[in-house]
Amino acid sequence: MREQLAQYVELLFAGNGDVEDIKEEILQNTLDRYDDLIAQGKSPQDAYRLSITGIGDVNEIINGKAAPGYTQENQAPTYAPMPEFEGTAAVVSRMMRAIAIFLYIVSPIPLFLFDRLGWDEVGVCCLLIIVGIATALLLLFKSPKAKEQPQEYTEYTDRPRNSGSQRELKKSVGKLISTVGLVLYFIISFSTGAWFITWLIFPIIGAVKGVVNSCIDLREDY
Amino acid sequence: MSIAGDLIRGHTDAVILARLLRSDSYGYEINKTISAISSGRLELKEATLYTAFKRLEEQGLITSYWGDSGAGARRRYYAITPAGQLASRRLTKEWQETKEIMDKLLEVEEET
Repeated sequence: MREQLAQYVELLFAGNGDVEDIKEEILQNTLDRYDDLIAQGKSPQDAYRLSITGIGDVNEIINGKAAPGYTQENQAPTYAPMPEFEGTAAVVSRMMRAIAIFLYIVSPIPLFLFDRLGWDEVGVCCLLIIVGIATALLLLFKSPKAKEQPQEYTEYTDRPRNSGSQRELKKSVGKLISTVGLVLYFIISFSTGAWFITWLIFPIIGAVKGVVNSCIDLREDY
Repeated sequence: MSIAGDLIRGHTDAVILARLLRSDSYGYEINKTISAISSGRLELKEATLYTAFKRLEEQGLITSYWGDSGAGARRRYYAITPAGQLASRRLTKEWQETKEIMDKLLEVEEET
């Protein structure tokens, strides 16, 4: 049975590099416990079972960190500190993304206004400039989740999986918008014959995609 | 015992330091003493004990050395450092205060 205990402990730490000392110490303690239990009149099977139960979860040793609840004695006890959710940077970034979405939504307004005045080109230019600014804002103030997720807390969230499905969602929605836009482009162009202006649908598709992506991002934030 | 057990487990470091204050010792012996003092109601897992040793050693509160004890068994003994003695006294004092406060808080509840 002592042999089996040694094998058991060996297996517990199998595949971990520099753990000879740990293994020896844990094994010695476990053997001590086993001998003690035998001396108390336990059967070898019972003693073996109890000794193994006494080892507990060696992962907390292998991972080199204490289980939650065992913080350093001179720090705040027994609870993990809450992550700081929002610095000013995060708030500013969220505001900028909101402004970008606002710009996308209002971007066609100059088109209508300048159309009234008969300055089509100015309207188009204004639309493109606004869309450009909004896109720049989105690129500059990307959702912080992707780049500065604090390492320690990742294990408590299913964020990575979530972001994956978020990306999938964005991709498929993006494709859908492009397809619908293309179909619209041909339908409108053929029915009106206004080919000189219908190309505007493409920047609009871009803008719509941006809005949708930002909405997905924002939803992820909350 | 489960709630009290959890409460005490939150003070594993203090318990280990208090044991080592009396004499150098090794894992199983400390665990056995804890079990005996608590009349078998509290027993730490090897992994928990080991993790606590590591943590205390990193903080410089205890040191360890390999020692032989009779029948050819090599054991890692732990000894408390001067910093550990200070920490042990502080933790004991903290616990006394906690106990005092808790006693008073729970007393009021009984009176009303």
